[in-house]
Amino acid sequence: MTRKAIYLLAAFCGWLWIMGSSRDTLTAHAPVVEYYQLKIPDSLPPPVYDFKKNPLTKEGIALGRHLFYDPKLSLDSSVSCGFCHQQFAAFGHFDHALSHGVLGRTGVRSVPTLFNLIWQKDFMWDGGVNHLDIQPLTPITDENEMGMDMRELITRLQGNKTYKGLFKAAYGSEEVTTERMFRALSQFMAIMLSFESKYDSVMRKEPGVKFTAEEEGGHRTFMQKCASCHKPPLFTDYSLRNNGLPYLPSMNDVGRMRITNNTADYLKFKVPSLRNVLVSAPYMHDGRFFDIFQVFDMYDHGQEKGNTIDPLVKNGIPLNAKEQRQLYMFLNTLTDKNFIKNQDFSEVLITD
Amino acid sequence: MGIMNRLLILILLFTCTGTAAQQVRLDISHVVGNMPMQLKVTEYHNAAGDTFTITVFRYYLSNFTLSDATGKAVNAEKAYFLVSEDSTRSKQLLLKNCPAGKYTRLSFMIGVDSVLNFSGPQSGALDPMYGMFWTWNSGYIMAKLEGFSPSSRLPNHMIQFHIGGYRAPHVTQRLVTLELPTPVTVSARHTPQVSLEADAATWFDGLHKISFRQTAGFMAPGTIADRIADNYQHMFTVKEVIHRR
Repeated sequence: MTRKAIYLLAAFCGWLWIMGSSRDTLTAHAPVVEYYQLKIPDSLPPPVYDFKKNPLTKEGIALGRHLFYDPKLSLDSSVSCGFCHQQFAAFGHFDHALSHGVLGRTGVRSVPTLFNLIWQKDFMWDGGVNHLDIQPLTPITDENEMGMDMRELITRLQGNKTYKGLFKAAYGSEEVTTERMFRALSQFMAIMLSFESKYDSVMRKEPGVKFTAEEEGGHRTFMQKCASCHKPPLFTDYSLRNNGLPYLPSMNDVGRMRITNNTADYLKFKVPSLRNVLVSAPYMHDGRFFDIFQVFDMYDHGQEKGNTIDPLVKNGIPLNAKEQRQLYMFLNTLTDKNFIKNQDFSEVLITD
Repeated sequence: MGIMNRLLILILLFTCTGTAAQQVRLDISHVVGNMPMQLKVTEYHNAAGDTFTITVFRYYLSNFTLSDATGKAVNAEKAYFLVSEDSTRSKQLLLKNCPAGKYTRLSFMIGVDSVLNFSGPQSGALDPMYGMFWTWNSGYIMAKLEGFSPSSRLPNHMIQFHIGGYRAPHVTQRLVTLELPTPVTVSARHTPQVSLEADAATWFDGLHKISFRQTAGFMAPGTIADRIADNYQHMFTVKEVIHRR
């Protein structure tokens, strides 16, 4: 009898042990969550981001949004992600050439816009960060940005009542871990899709939406002269190239070469998406151009043609006044007003 | 004591013995040449004749394998260990779920598998909060040694070696294979213990000699990192195998 009981117990323990080892570390106790269906237009390629490892849930997105707008993620609780990534500027930093940080510090590159990130394989102007889930680690710990120690941050969030609730809702327990935090931030950033511009309506042949003659002319110029790097529908091919932007000794930014140590990568920077470009000035990795016409001029006659200049632009891109005007009109059709006003992404006020 | 409590204790007992079964314990001690490692205070000398102290000595170990006399190899349970001189606990590794057998050779990797270098944040010992993940150029720092040397021309005469890189041609994971002086017998009843010694002096000696006058630091994937990894691949020796009865 006792032996039978022991066998039964042993079997039960074995079962417990098996269940214990197979459960997902992210969700220790299966939470009751509402899964979120991301609507991606059919015309787009499949995303690079692997949602199987981080399924979208309403609770995960809500946690991510709270984290995104929380200044507690910075050393002196002054700078949130949303501080530099402003929605009305398509999550770029309006009117700021270089990123700002805690204690009045300034970074060395401009703030990139945030949208359609689930197609992006690597991040930062030099492509040095290799996964969306790990990207926030860089600004959070950079002393010129949020200047935070990760261990201190986890302790800080763990002690906060609001986060206890948010983590529990998203993951089934109150435990705060870096993995959970970063995955939630990814969930919020993953749903930032921008495909509702006038350009998109025209491409989808929505009734009553047409390019004007000027926009149409700009579209033609764009497809001839810009689209091989700023490739539709994402308006970037995510490659790293030297576009001929003159090197600034005062900044001494070597671009991709910093990552690869390869002189062939000297002055190569990531090709940014041109969606929402007219609301996200200034331009270039160091934000040196505050006006898109300065960018046109640079391609027309202002390049510095070093060894690593991209073959596609090594002869410059001639753009006369009419082409520039029409190009401006076309780029204006890439502004997605629904995106920059979408209440799902707007700032949440955090006071505790 | 109620029946439930007794049952709980029994369950606990069974669970413990269940996972405790078939383990190998590794005890790692750190030395520099023929001196025990003591952070901050002790002065050492490298092969190039530079005097130095060590303030941080930390590295990842993973992919533990045991092989028997016929060459048949078995894997211990997948685990990543961050070994750090400043933490006694981190120097005691428990290899879990090793198949029973008599083994004559121990192999493992210094570093973290390539795939985990580009798969986003990991948990446990691989949590990026331990400062062993590069934020500007994603990837794990496989091993880290910091300190001071009067020969260093870096600010404050510091020496800083953060060794990493997972993409060809600069790959810094290294496989270590150690012959055991006496075979290790793994069974449910015994947890054999293997004492390992890691010699930090090997980092700067061996195939590639490093002089702090020339190279006082390296903190990116690259040739110097590869060379130091080639060197520290040979930092481990087996001191002793103990079978407790």
